Amino acid sequence: MSSFGAVVRAVSLGRLRGQPGRLTVTVAAIALGVSLATAVFVINAGALNEFGLAARKLVGAADVIVRGPRQGFDESVFVRLAQEPGIDVASPVLELEVVPLGGHPPLKVMAVDPFRAAPMQPELLAGVGRDLMALFEPGAVALSAEAARELAVRAGDVLSVRAGAGTYDLRVVAVMPADAYAQRLALMDIATAQWVFDRVGRINRIDLRLEQGRDVGRLRERLAAVLPAGVNALNPGVERDRAAEVTRAYRVNLNMLALVALLTGAFLVFSTQALSILRRRSALALLRAVGATRRQLELALLLEGLLLGAAGSLVGVVLGQVVASLALARLGGDLGGGFFGGLEVVARPQPVVLAAFLVIGTAVAAIGAWLPAREAAATSPSRALKSGDAEQAAARLRPVWPGAAVGLVGAACAWLPPVGGLPVFGYVSVAALLAAGVMLVPAAAARLLDAVPSPAAVTWKTALAQLRGSASQSAVSLAAIIVSFSLMVAMAIMVYSFRESFERWLGEVLPADLHVRVASSSDTAYWTPADQEAIADLDGIQRIRFQRWQEAYLAPDRPPVAVIAREVSRDPTQALPLVRGADFELPAGAVPTWVSEAVTDLYGIDVGDTLELPLAGRRFDLVVAGVWRDYGRSTGALVVDRDWYIARTGDETASHVAIWLAPGASAEDVARRIRGRFERGEDLQVLTGTAIRELSLRVFDRAFAVTYLLEAVAVVIGLIGVSFAFSSQALARRAEFGMLRHVGMLRRQVVGMLAGEGAIMSALGVLYGLTLGFVLSLVLVYVINRQSFNWSIDVALPWVQLALLGAVLVAAASVTAMLSGRAATSAQAVRAVREDW
Amino acid sequence: MSRQAVAYGRRLLALAAALAAAPVPPSAAAQGHVEYAVVGPEGRIDLPADHGSHPDYRTEWWYVTGWLETAGGEALGFQVTFFRTRPDVPAGNPSAFAPTQLVIAHAALSDTRLGRLRHAERIARASHGLAGADVADTRVWLDDWQLEREGDSYRTRVDGEGFAFELALGATQPAMINGSGGYSRKGPRPESASFYYSVPQLGVTGTVERDGRREAVTGLAWLDHEWSTALLDERAVGWDWIGVNLDDGGALMAFRLRDAAGGEVWAGGSIREPDGRLRILAPNDVEFVPQRRWRSPRTGIEYPVSWNVHAGGQAWAIVPLLDDQESDARATTGSVYWEGAVRAIRDDSEEGRGYLELTGYGEPLRLPGD
Amino acid sequence: MPASSRAVLQLSAIVKRYAPDRPAVLDGIDMELGQGEYVAIMGESGVGKSTLLNLMAGLDRPDAGRILFEGADLGGLDDDSATLLRRERMGFVFQAFHVLPYMTVADNVGLPLDLAGASPAERAPRVETMLDRVGLAGYGQRYPRELSGGETQRVAIARALVHRPRLLLADEPTGNLDPRTASLVLELLRDCVHAEGASGVLITHSRAAADTADRILLLDGRRLSPAQPAR
Repeated sequence: MSSFGAVVRAVSLGRLRGQPGRLTVTVAAIALGVSLATAVFVINAGALNEFGLAARKLVGAADVIVRGPRQGFDESVFVRLAQEPGIDVASPVLELEVVPLGGHPPLKVMAVDPFRAAPMQPELLAGVGRDLMALFEPGAVALSAEAARELAVRAGDVLSVRAGAGTYDLRVVAVMPADAYAQRLALMDIATAQWVFDRVGRINRIDLRLEQGRDVGRLRERLAAVLPAGVNALNPGVERDRAAEVTRAYRVNLNMLALVALLTGAFLVFSTQALSILRRRSALALLRAVGATRRQLELALLLEGLLLGAAGSLVGVVLGQVVASLALARLGGDLGGGFFGGLEVVARPQPVVLAAFLVIGTAVAAIGAWLPAREAAATSPSRALKSGDAEQAAARLRPVWPGAAVGLVGAACAWLPPVGGLPVFGYVSVAALLAAGVMLVPAAAARLLDAVPSPAAVTWKTALAQLRGSASQSAVSLAAIIVSFSLMVAMAIMVYSFRESFERWLGEVLPADLHVRVASSSDTAYWTPADQEAIADLDGIQRIRFQRWQEAYLAPDRPPVAVIAREVSRDPTQALPLVRGADFELPAGAVPTWVSEAVTDLYGIDVGDTLELPLAGRRFDLVVAGVWRDYGRSTGALVVDRDWYIARTGDETASHVAIWLAPGASAEDVARRIRGRFERGEDLQVLTGTAIRELSLRVFDRAFAVTYLLEAVAVVIGLIGVSFAFSSQALARRAEFGMLRHVGMLRRQVVGMLAGEGAIMSALGVLYGLTLGFVLSLVLVYVINRQSFNWSIDVALPWVQLALLGAVLVAAASVTAMLSGRAATSAQAVRAVREDW
Repeated sequence: MSRQAVAYGRRLLALAAALAAAPVPPSAAAQGHVEYAVVGPEGRIDLPADHGSHPDYRTEWWYVTGWLETAGGEALGFQVTFFRTRPDVPAGNPSAFAPTQLVIAHAALSDTRLGRLRHAERIARASHGLAGADVADTRVWLDDWQLEREGDSYRTRVDGEGFAFELALGATQPAMINGSGGYSRKGPRPESASFYYSVPQLGVTGTVERDGRREAVTGLAWLDHEWSTALLDERAVGWDWIGVNLDDGGALMAFRLRDAAGGEVWAGGSIREPDGRLRILAPNDVEFVPQRRWRSPRTGIEYPVSWNVHAGGQAWAIVPLLDDQESDARATTGSVYWEGAVRAIRDDSEEGRGYLELTGYGEPLRLPGD
Repeated sequence: MPASSRAVLQLSAIVKRYAPDRPAVLDGIDMELGQGEYVAIMGESGVGKSTLLNLMAGLDRPDAGRILFEGADLGGLDDDSATLLRRERMGFVFQAFHVLPYMTVADNVGLPLDLAGASPAERAPRVETMLDRVGLAGYGQRYPRELSGGETQRVAIARALVHRPRLLLADEPTGNLDPRTASLVLELLRDCVHAEGASGVLITHSRAAADTADRILLLDGRRLSPAQPAR
C-alpha cells in the first residue's frame, strides 16, 4: 500500500499544498450546496413536527372520533354512545371558531367536559392546572400560552368575543404552560360554551375510548348504523390527517423548495468535484505514465472526493443548521407565510438528520469525483497528456439517450394520480424532468453553440471558439445554475399564473360593492333574521344577498366541504365562476347544487350527477348543475339555494352579506350605518369588493414572498457555483491569457473575451433554463397544483419578469467571468507563459 | 327545614333573573354564588326519606367499607364511595351539561397478596342520566359504577384496572343514627357538622374479580351516609375515623378531627350494643392514641396505621390488615388518604373487624366542592 | 550575415532589479540588433534571460537605461501602446508552444491577423503561405491535439510570423522537443525569420541551439558579451 500512499500524495496532497485556494473553493462550494439543502430541510421538518405534535395533542388518546359538521348534532348522540357497550369513555366536544374583539384572528375553542376529556387530552387539561373546576366559573376560559400572548391577556383578565351579532365577556381563568399546546387555543367547559354561544343541546365531536380488547373496526361499523347523516365515526389517524390539511399549502411550497435546494446543492457539489478532476487530467496521466495503476488512481481520487466532500459537508451541515435557526427565529415556523398562526418552531439540532445530510453531501461529492476519476484513470496516459483532452473526456459525458430516457419517465409520471392526496408522482416528474434537463445540457450546449453564428470581432470569436471547444466542461459547471434557474422559472410561471387566475376569480366571486361579515371565520358570530331585516332596511342599499356558510361531510374519511347557502340568481353563470355546466338543463323537480372543482376531483362527480348531501342530520339528493372554480377551499365547496336551505334546516341565520349600493349612495355611509346598527359594530368586517381583492392579493403575495426569497438564494448559490467554475477555469487558462497578451491582445480584450464567454454561456443557460422551466411549470400547474389543491389554474407567462431575470443572470454571469479574468491577466500572470509544468 | 327553603327561594330568584336577561347569559363580570343549605342542630334524619340525596348541601357521600372472604379463606378489604358535590356555580345555564352537581366515586380492594390497594376513581358531572344521585332513595351512579338501595339491601358494582366487584349488601339491623338525631357535630361551631347515619353489620355476598379471575365472596360491611355544607372547622386539617362491626353484633364508630399541630379539634362516636341500645359519644368520651407508623413509598406521607382507641370506656387496639392501604385520589377529590381494613382487638383477642380512615396527613384535607 | 546599419532594437545601459533592496538581475546591458539579424542570447538558467526578453517585448520596464524598438522608446509606452506595438511588429515563440487547443491550426496561425483586424480575404492566403512555409500545408483544419510536439511548435512559428513582424522573440522554443526535432525546428525558425525579412532573438541555454543563430551573445553575471561562433 505504500505505493498507493505515494499516489495519494501525488494526486491530492500536492494539490493541497500547491493550490490551497482552489481547494478552499471546492470545499466552500460543497459546503454551500449542503447547507442550502440542510437549512430548508431543518426548517421544513421542524415546522411540520411542531404542527403534527400540536395536532396530536388535540386529537388525543381517542380510539375512535365521532365527528359531525361544525354546526354540530344533537348531544343525545353522546348520551347514546356513552351507554354503548364496549365504550369505556365518551367525551363530548364542541369545537368552535370564536372571534375575539379588537381585530384578532379567529380563536379555536375546544369546549369539553374536563372530566371526560382528561383521559383523552391529558396534556391540555393538565395545562389548565390542578383545579379543573375553575373552568366551571361563569364565562371561564383557559388559554394556551400562545393565545394569551397574541391576545395580550393574563389569568384573571376579561376576553371579549363576538357571540351572535353581539358580544360576550369571557374570563381567563388559566393560561396553560407553553409546552401544553404550542398554537392558539382556548379551552372551555362545554356547558359554558353551549350557553354563551347559543349551542345548547348541540355538540360536534365525541371522542371515544374503547374497553380493552374491543375491536375498533367492528364498533365503527356498528356506530355507522346509528349515527345521524353526516356524522361519522373516524379513525383518529384520519382526524390527524385532516388537521394536517391546514398545512397543505405550506408543505407543497416547502417541498418544492426542498427539492430546489437539494438538487441545486447536489449539482453544485457534483460539478465542483467533476471539474476539479477534469482539470487535472494531464497530471493524472503523468502518474499513470510513471506507474500508478488505474485502480490506485481511482481509489486515490475517490478518497480525495470523500475527504473534500466530508469536510465541505461538515461545514455545510453546521452552516445549514445555523441558517435554519436564524430563519426560524426571525421569520417563525411558517417563514412569514402566515400558515400556522404563530406556531413557534425551534430548530433543535437533530443529530440523525444532520448526520444524514453529512453522508448525502459526502456521497454526492464522492460520486462527483468517482465518475470522472474512473474515466481519467481509464484513459491512456499519452492521450491525456495532450492539451484539449479534458474536453474530449467531458464530451464523453454527453450521450443523449440516458437523458432522454429519464425525461420520458418524468413525463410519464405527470399522468399518474396523487398518492394519499399528495402529488408524489408530480414531484417525481419534476425531479426526473430536471435531471433529464441537466443530463442533456452537454449535448444541447454543443448543438446550441454550433448554431451561434461566428462573429467578426476577435474577442467574441475567440470566446466562442473557447466555448465550443469546452462545451461539455462548461455545461457541467452550468448544471447547478440551470437547475436553480429553471426551477425558479417554473415557480415564477406557476405563481404568476395562479395570481392572474386568482385575481380574475376574486372579481367574479365578489361582484357586489360592499361585503360584510360578522367575523372573518367564526361559528359563533351571525345575524338573526331580525338583524338581517335591520340591515336590509338601511338606506342606500339597492340589492342585498345574505349567505350562510355551513359544512358537511360527503365522505367519512375526507375533510368536510363548505356548504354555502345563498340566493342563486336564475343565471348562475353571472354569480359563480363556472368552469363547466353553464348550459346544463336541470331536470324538472331536481334540487340543484353548484360544486367547486375540488368536489369533482375528490368525490368523482360532475355536472348532471346526483350528490347526496347530509345536512341537519338528514340526507338530500341534489343534482350537480355546474362546476365552479374556488380558490378559497381546497377541500371542496358547494352552493345551494338559501330558500331551500332554510326550508330544510330551519337555520335562518346569515354570516355574510353582499350589498349592491343604490345609485348615488356612498360605500362609507352604508358601512357606517351597518356598524352603527350593532354592538361593537367597529369589529364587523365591512369591506368594498376592491378592498377585499387588494387584501387577498396582499396575503397571496406574502405567502409566496419567502418562496421567492429562497428561490433567489438558490439562484445566487448557483451563480456562486458558476463563478467558482469560471475562476478555476481562468486560473487554469493563465498561460493561455499570457500568450494572448504577448501576441497583442489588450488586457481589456482578454477580459472582454471572458465576459463574452460568460455572457454566451449564461445566455444559453438562461434560454435552456427558460425552456426547461416552462416544461416544469406545466407539471407544477397541471399536476402538483391540481392534485394538491384541487383547483385549476390558467397558465400565464410573466414575460417581463422572466426577461428581466434572464438579463440579470446573464449580466451577473458576465461580470463574474470578467472579475475572475482580471486576476488572471495581471502583469504577473502574463509571465505565466513561461511557467513550466 | 326553613333555611333550605330560603336557599331554594334565592336560587329561583337567580334563575328568574337569568331568564329575564335571556338569551344573553350572565357575563363573567356578574358573578353569582350558590346559597347552600346549612346543617343545623334542629335538623333530624328522617328515614327512609333521607336515604336519597340532598342536592342543596355542598357535599354528600355514601361510604361502604367491609371485609370479604373468598371461598379459599383469603381475607380482603373493600371500599366503595360515592360523593355528590355541588360546585359553586350559579344556576341559570340552560345547558344540560351545566355542572350543578358532580359525582365522584372511589373504589378500592385491599389485597394482602398484592401488598397494597387496587384502587380506581371516577368523576363526572351529574348530567344526561350518565351520572347522578337520586333524591328519592339511595341510588348513585357514575357511568356503569353504581350503589343502589333496594328494600333493605344495597347493591354495588365497580370496576377498575385489574379488579372489579359486584356485591349485594343485606341489612341485618336498622340504621344507626349518629349524633343528635343525625346532627353530627364536627367542630366547636354548630354549623361545622353533618347529617350522618350508618348501617353496620351488612351481610355481603357477591363476586370479586382480580386480574381477570372471578371469585365468589362473602363478608360483612358498613355503610355511612353523610351530608353537609361546612363540615370542617377552619382549624381542622383532617380526621381519623373507625367503624367496626363487632363479632357480637354490636357496632363501634368513633372519629376525631385534628388541627395542623395534631391536636384534637373535635371528637365523637356511637356505640350500639347487640341489643340495639345506642350510646352517643361526646368529645371527651373518645381518645385516639397513635401507635405504629408507616411511611408511603409513593407519596412520602407518614400514617399512624395502628392505634389505641378509647371510646365510651372501652379500650380497643386497632391493627391494619396490611400497612399499605393508601389511596391517591388527587385526580378526583384532590386528596391522598389512608383507608383500610383493620382488626379491632380487645384484651388480646380480635372482637371485631372494620375500617380505619386517616385523612389530612399529607396536605390539609379538601372536601370536594370546597 | 553582417549586421545592418539600421538597428531594429537598441538596448543601452539597461539595469533591472526585482526589488529596490535586491541586487540587479541585469546591470548595464548594451545591445544592438540590426535589420534582418538573428541573434542568440545564451546563458545558464536563472541569469536573467527571460527578464531580458520581457524587457525587449515591452512587457516590463527597465529601472535604468533605454530600449529603442525601431526608434520608439519601449520604456515610455503605456500597456496598451506596448500591446499594440507587439501585436503589429513582434512575434513570439514559446517553449510550451501555447497554441489554443480549442482552435484549428489555421485559426491559431491566423490569430495575430485577427487581432490586427485583417479581412478574411487577406487572412486566408497569408495563413496558407505560412503553413506551407513551416511544412504544414493541408493541416489547417486540424486541431492541435492531433499534432506531434514538433508540428505544434511549427504552428507556433507560423503564428509568430504570419503578420510579418519586424522582430521575432523566441524563448527556448525547443525545450520541450527531442534533439532531432529540435534542430529541425530551429533551422526552420531561422530560415523563416530570414525569409520574412524579420529580425530575431533566440533565447536558449543550449549551445547547439545558439549555433543556429547569426551571432551569439553570452548573458553571464548580469552582462552581455559576444561569444565565438562555433562555425
